[in-house]
Amino acid sequence: MEVIHLPKDIDRHWVETSSGAILAGTGPILLDFKDVESIDSAGIALVHILERTRSTEVESIRRPILDQIESTQQEIDSSKKQTKSPFFERIGTSFYNNFCEFRIALSVLVEMLYWGTIGMFERRDFRKGILGEQMYHLGYGALGITLALTFLIGVALAVQSAIQLKAFGADVFLIALVVQGMIRELGPLMAAIILAGRTGSATTAEIATMKVQEEVDALKTMGLNEIQFIVVPKFWALSATMPLVTVMAIMSGILGGFVVAFTMVGMAPQMIMDEFVKNIIVKDFVLSILKSLVFSWLIIWVGSYYGFRVSGGAEEVGRATTQSVVSTIFVIVVADAIFSFFY
Amino acid sequence: MSENVIEIRNLTAKYGDRTVLHDISTDFKRAEIKVVLGTSGCGKTTLLKHTIGLLAPASGTVNILGTQIGELDSPETMATLKRIGVMYQYGALLGSLTVAQNIALPLKMHTKLSNQLIEEIVRDKLHSVKLDIAYDLFPGELSGGMRKRAAIARALVLDPPILFCDEPSAGLDPVTSAGLDDLLKEMRDHLGITIVVITHEIESIKVIADSILYLEKGKVLYDGSLAEALKVTAGPLANFFNRVDNFNGAPAVKMQSKLIVRSTQ
Repeated sequence: MEVIHLPKDIDRHWVETSSGAILAGTGPILLDFKDVESIDSAGIALVHILERTRSTEVESIRRPILDQIESTQQEIDSSKKQTKSPFFERIGTSFYNNFCEFRIALSVLVEMLYWGTIGMFERRDFRKGILGEQMYHLGYGALGITLALTFLIGVALAVQSAIQLKAFGADVFLIALVVQGMIRELGPLMAAIILAGRTGSATTAEIATMKVQEEVDALKTMGLNEIQFIVVPKFWALSATMPLVTVMAIMSGILGGFVVAFTMVGMAPQMIMDEFVKNIIVKDFVLSILKSLVFSWLIIWVGSYYGFRVSGGAEEVGRATTQSVVSTIFVIVVADAIFSFFY
Repeated sequence: MSENVIEIRNLTAKYGDRTVLHDISTDFKRAEIKVVLGTSGCGKTTLLKHTIGLLAPASGTVNILGTQIGELDSPETMATLKRIGVMYQYGALLGSLTVAQNIALPLKMHTKLSNQLIEEIVRDKLHSVKLDIAYDLFPGELSGGMRKRAAIARALVLDPPILFCDEPSAGLDPVTSAGLDDLLKEMRDHLGITIVVITHEIESIKVIADSILYLEKGKVLYDGSLAEALKVTAGPLANFFNRVDNFNGAPAVKMQSKLIVRSTQ
């Protein structure tokens, strides 16, 4: 039988250094408590483990120490041990969970579109006055940063293109490239991405906070529809402001291109204007605005879906907001790619 | 007098695979304050959420004022919900609206009263919870106790025959908490409202409760009058009132020691 002579104080430090060898052994063990005056939680835990794994005897133990060891004896229920579920069960569960998530997301979209259009006339729940406030916050608030960024994008696009075009002696096409690029692609896309980061995240954070603070529950128990109350004003506010922001973003980007064309390339103002007028195609412009409208719905939809999904505490709000921004930008780029096939 | 306004029958509730409420049956009578109590995690708030239809039970039924609570979107459930007031743990006032707008909200949504009348009702309700000064303030500008009183005013604005309060005195100082208790008693006596209070504040329970429902681990352990409950001398309920803490009432299971003791000093 293995005999262990225990020191005066069985404390954490002693257990740290000695437990490895003791726990590694098998067979009966005798613990000699003759010198032991105190024992701490780590020491007690060590005795408990030995008791379960090896046949353990103790000798010359003081009564208080024995009481201490025995009073914290816990029942180990081996049936409760977590077992990994079978492979197919895990696949099925994950598939089912994703399906449920998808269903919730779809129902948020359908409710948003329904209450935002047909349902508006059904009940008088729509809060007057809030629309202007939301338009100011969601649209006007994002205008400055959007214009600044698209201007810089216009500058960068023009500078890069001018270098390439110069190699072919095709400087004159610079304006056509900037104008068409901004109208068809970069204007709506940049505006949508900036608003996804600003408005989408704000939407998620607001709804998630309301959810955490039981405000959404309170709305429901007052007999109000939460989508109608929270999401619809945002839906309308962004639907109204997004096309305007997009048009201004396009203009700002084109202006950036003009600055480069005038200063760097040295094009005459008259020539710039002629090229500009020639390259504005009404159909492109209208489709661009339609595209921005769809983007605005995607921003509100994804933003509110992630907000409503939150349950639990404050940290969930932050996580939901991050996920929301990433997903919104992803969805917008996918939608943009789909659009590019149509025109 | 003893007419049932809420009847819960065989309610079982689950979160995923975990059963949180086991086969609960109980009644709430008119003009009575019934306190739902129990240690943390025993299912009090879950019971509330199932009763007001925010969560759907795995099995069993909830009947409020003769209507069975089902899907939240159904017209019958909606109509019934308008007849109950709920005060949430942290007030759950809408942060984007002023206190007055919060209280006026149910009136604006569910009635065709003129703005002048609505304003008068809101001022009356604020006065009844002694919060006249808060009319134009936002919830963020109120203290915890004021927020809870504003929440009561909002819960009562449609004159509901039933009021649910989730932990009305949690996180409040004893004086404010006592004021809130008095308010609940006043409402029961003057308005004849059935009040369901979820709490574990013993002092508050002794003052306000007519009857109590004691839950433990999702099961009903006691359902009856407070006076009878206080006479119980042993078991979890007695422990609860005598503030004996032995972690969820049940004595810890002690395992037979396998230690072979050769000798002791």
